[in-house]
Parts: sequence; C-alpha cells; structure tokens
Amino acid sequence: MKFVISLAFKNLTRYKRRTLITAGAIAFGIMMFIMVDSMLGGAEYESVRNLKWYETASVRIYNEGYWEERHQTPLDINIPEGASVVKKLEESGYTASARTVFSGDMILNAEDFGEDGNLSVQVTAIDTAKDYDVFHYGDTLVDGRFLEPNEEAVLLGSWLAEDIGAEVGYWITIITRGNGGFYEAMDLEIAGIVNCPNPNVNRTLIMMPIETADYYLAMEGAATEINIKLPDNADVEAEAAEIQKTINSFDSSVKLRALDWKYMASDYLAMVEAKRGGTGIVLFLIFIIAAVGISNTMLMAIYERIRELGMMRSLGMSDGKIRASFVIEAAGIGLIGSILGVILGILANLYVIYIGFDLGFFMRDMDIGFRIQSVMRGIWNIDTIAGAFFAGTLISTLVAFIPTGRALKMDIPSCLRHQ
Amino acid sequence: MKNKLIIFALILLLPASAFAISGEEIVRKADDKATYDSAEMAGEMRITDRFGTKTSTFNSWSRGENESLIEFTSLAERGQKVLRTENEIYLYYPDAEELIRMQGSALRQGMLGSDISYEDMTGGKDRASQYKIEVTGSETILGRDCWVLSLEARTRSVPYPKETVWIDKQDYIVMKGEYFTKSGRLLKEMEVLELGEIDGITLALETKISDKMKRDSDTILIVKDLKANVALDDAIFSLEELSW
Repeated sequence: MKFVISLAFKNLTRYKRRTLITAGAIAFGIMMFIMVDSMLGGAEYESVRNLKWYETASVRIYNEGYWEERHQTPLDINIPEGASVVKKLEESGYTASARTVFSGDMILNAEDFGEDGNLSVQVTAIDTAKDYDVFHYGDTLVDGRFLEPNEEAVLLGSWLAEDIGAEVGYWITIITRGNGGFYEAMDLEIAGIVNCPNPNVNRTLIMMPIETADYYLAMEGAATEINIKLPDNADVEAEAAEIQKTINSFDSSVKLRALDWKYMASDYLAMVEAKRGGTGIVLFLIFIIAAVGISNTMLMAIYERIRELGMMRSLGMSDGKIRASFVIEAAGIGLIGSILGVILGILANLYVIYIGFDLGFFMRDMDIGFRIQSVMRGIWNIDTIAGAFFAGTLISTLVAFIPTGRALKMDIPSCLRHQ
Repeated sequence: MKNKLIIFALILLLPASAFAISGEEIVRKADDKATYDSAEMAGEMRITDRFGTKTSTFNSWSRGENESLIEFTSLAERGQKVLRTENEIYLYYPDAEELIRMQGSALRQGMLGSDISYEDMTGGKDRASQYKIEVTGSETILGRDCWVLSLEARTRSVPYPKETVWIDKQDYIVMKGEYFTKSGRLLKEMEVLELGEIDGITLALETKISDKMKRDSDTILIVKDLKANVALDDAIFSLEELSW
C-alpha cells in the first residue's frame, strides 16, 4: 500500500502541469460556489437588516384595528397620546418613537420643479428627537439638514428626489385628508435629502415633523404607530409578547397591539423563502457545473494514461493496486484543487464582504426583491466553505473509479495500443 | 279692532331678521333642489388642462342622494362606469374587465383626469346639519340675486372644512362655490356658466369646476338632457350589473 501511495504521489509531481491545470479547474469551481453563496447570503442578511433599520423597526405598536386597514393609512385608528405611551415604554426600558403615517397627493409647482405635476405619496411624520434612536437615518443625509421640531419641512429619499428633480430649498404641497376625513393642504420646504440603503424606502421616503402633522391633521397628540428598537440578536417574537404584556398594563383608551418585524414583513419573508428555493437551484447548478468540470478533467487525465496503465498491468501489477493508485492520485488532485479553491474563495469573499459589487446601475430602476440599494456584499458561511472543500475532494476521488474500471476491463494489448 | 291694531304694532316692532330665512334653511333647500328622487341624465365633460381640451360624454342615473351610476359613452372611454352606492365607489374598466373599489387617497383623483374628484361624488348632501352656516351678504351672478353663505364644518368628517357658496334667491340653485381646506386654502371652485330649463326644471346647464391645486385646469360639466323622477330598476345600482 505504501508503494501505491508513493506511486500516486510521484504521478502527481511527475505531471505537474496536468496536475495544476486539473486542480485549477476544481479550484475555480469551488471558488465560484463559495463566492456566489456568500453574495446571496449577504443580500438576504443585508435585506433583513435594512428592513428593520429603515422600515419596520424591531417591534411596532398599533391601535388594534389598524393592521387590517393599514393600506388605507387611516388616521382615525390611532394611538391616543402617543408621546405619553412612548414615555411609559421608555420607563419600562425600551427605546421607542412615535410616528404618524398618512397618504396624500404631492403637488409640484412649476416655479421650483420646472413644470407642474402631482403624484400619490405616503408621508411619515417623525419625532425628530427620538426617531433616529430607533431607525438608522442618522448617517444617511446627503444634502441639506435633518428636520427640526414643529417646522414646515420635509426630508426626501434621494431616489425620489432624483425622480422628481427636487433640490433642498424647493417647496412641495401635500394634500391629504386629516383625522376624520377633512381635506388639508400643507406647503413644506425640502430641508434635506437622505440616501437610505433600503431601495423601497429610498424610492418613496417623505418625512416631516410629527408636531406639524399633528397640527394640520388634527391628531391631538395621537400617533398611528410607535416603533421600538431591540438589539439585533433579540428574540423578537418573545420580546413582542413581553411588550404586549407591558402595553396591556397601560391605562389606554384603545386596545394596543405589538407586532414584531417578522409578522409585519411576513410577505417579504415568504418571498425570501421562495427566493431561497431559487437561490438553492442557482447554487446547485453552479455545483453541477463545478462537478462536471472536475469529472471531465479527471476523465481526460485518466483516459490519456491508459497506455501507462496497460504497461503497469503487463509488468504484473494487480488491478486493485492500479485502481488504488489512480484513485489516490485523483484524490490528491481533488485535495490540491479544493485547498486552492477554498483559498481563492476566501480571498474572493474578502473582496465581496468588505468592498462588494456595485449593482446600483440596474437596481436603481428595478426591484429585485432584496432590500439592498446598490452594493451587494457577502457574508462568511463556514458550512459552505467546508462543504465545498469536501465535495471537491470527494467528487474527484469518485469520478476516478469509472474510467479506471473501464480501462481495467480492456485487455493489455488494447491498453498498450490505446491512442 | 283694538286687538288687530296691537298685533299690527307688534309686527312692526319685530326685527327684520325674524322674517329672514336662515342660512341652514337656504342650504337645506338648495341641497333638496339638487337631489332628485330619481333622475336620468345625459351630459358632457369638457376637461381642459395644460395639454389641451378633451371632451367626454356620459349618461348617468341617480336615486336619492346616495346612489348613482355614470356610464361614459365617448369613444375613448366607452363602457367605463362609475358606481356610487351608499358607502362605496366602484370603477369598471371594460377593456381590462376589472372592477376597482376606490378608497383612501385614490378618492381625490379626478374622474377621467377631470377636476371633479371621486371624493366629490361621495358623502350625503345634508350640509345644513354638518356645517355652521352664516349668511354674509348678497351678490348678483348671471343676473340673479344670490345669498352669499359662509359654511364652517361642525364635524371633521366632511371633505371641505370651509365653504363659501352663492345661492340663487329665486330657485335655490348653487351658482358658485369655493371650497377650502381646514387651514383656509382654496382647493376647488365651482361656478355656473349657464342656467336653463329642461322638462320644467330650472337647473345649471353648464358648470365650471376648477381644482385650484392644478394650474390651467378646469372642467365644464354640461347637462344635455334630464329626466327627473323616472322609474329606475334597482339593478342599475347593483355591483353585479356593473360589469355587464
């Protein structure tokens, strides 16, 4: 057996170029597999983070009847005395902020925008002092300034601003229906533009101070939602249940309901689950391509050595030893390829994770489902790296059995004459 | 004789306001005048915006103040229908065979891009109870003496919290209206351009409506024919019939 291993090792070093080319092909397949898996995993991870950071927060409190009617953004199904509920939550140790969300028409004037126009929008009125503690807009400002309490001003998402040609200092008019159904119109100056990494938000974001909305919409201190931030590793379902118990103890004139982000984003998560199936197919196809590449190069490597195999048989070496020698040699090539592949995969992953691929040029105008705006980054997935390593080695080893077996079925003269 | 003299003296001493009709009464009569038990109408909408003028024709049926159906007959919109029931507004597009329930902010959209919003079709016409009404003066419009009334909503549930309306003293027709937001911004304006008589009923034959949030935009609503108090089949106002 020692001789067989030694022979296999010698064969590996004797045909250096072939060994390197074959191992290189295996390495490339493994690297691609590791990199694509990292990118898809990263897109999913970042999407969830951006969803929580810019859309849903960790847990949200609504008036009990709001969730079913949320698409209509009703102002009359609200949380009375929103600020007082936030204060009680803070006293219970939570980081919370109230918001009022309403729909309306945004009127653009020719004086600022070049031509008149209007579009349906959703406006989020925020507590300018506390909202940035719950959501992560603090570092997204690209022009102008953040909102001040009570002012008649808005912040726009940068993609929305680009789409309508808005600049800081321009004025917009929002026409909406106040609490009860009356019409109200608000002239608001664009105070700042934020570039939110969540594309769904960045395409539509309009924020204004909650005090201004409160006055115009006759909310009388009510808010439509209260958002709560929890640590990233928190068990949100358990925390939401705990928050529900806390708010049940509040003396509120309406029944409040705490929903965790997974419940609120269940449509998105269902889509991610479906996408995961597609992602699995993509990874499987990459795996198949890599496996076929590995098999093909191993088959070629063995078929071109059938004469050598005939020579060894004519010199009296047993079929078992010949097969073992070829299989060990293939395993060696697979091992070298897998090691190289993992090293290349890790190097590629470093680039993907810390720099990433800027796909903003096509994500700007299309919705690929992920909540990432432009740079697609990866994540470390040790299971994938280890799996790719073992699969690369194992496939190389297994595919050596077939051509070796076929060659061993040939008679010795046929092997020696084989071209 | 002595008693008659006392009554006469008392009448002379009563203030003039005791004979004046109240704002609520004027608005109630005007709303009643604008509401038919049932009616069938043919009309035209001339929509002007910065792109030009577009004309759409329609037939409409209404019953009371809560039910109406409009079916467009002009080529571009033929078969499109707008059904208003007591609480809902539905649109039917024959090309897409699609039925849409209008709700939320979509109600502010102009019907066929006109200055008349779907919102304007909703809600009862019982303004006398929904607004605090004050007669602020008299003006002449189209040669008709009109009361000028200022309306301020008692409730938040009306679309226009403030209104100024000009109502004809003779036939209680709303000749002009200005509709404001809660903070006092003029949102919409309505003005009768031509009065006429159809089938013995005096009504506005041409009315201009302008959405003041749109520049260079107005819609002229023209009544071509009107049959009031006709028998209408219940099915006209049913959702099932809308897509037929």
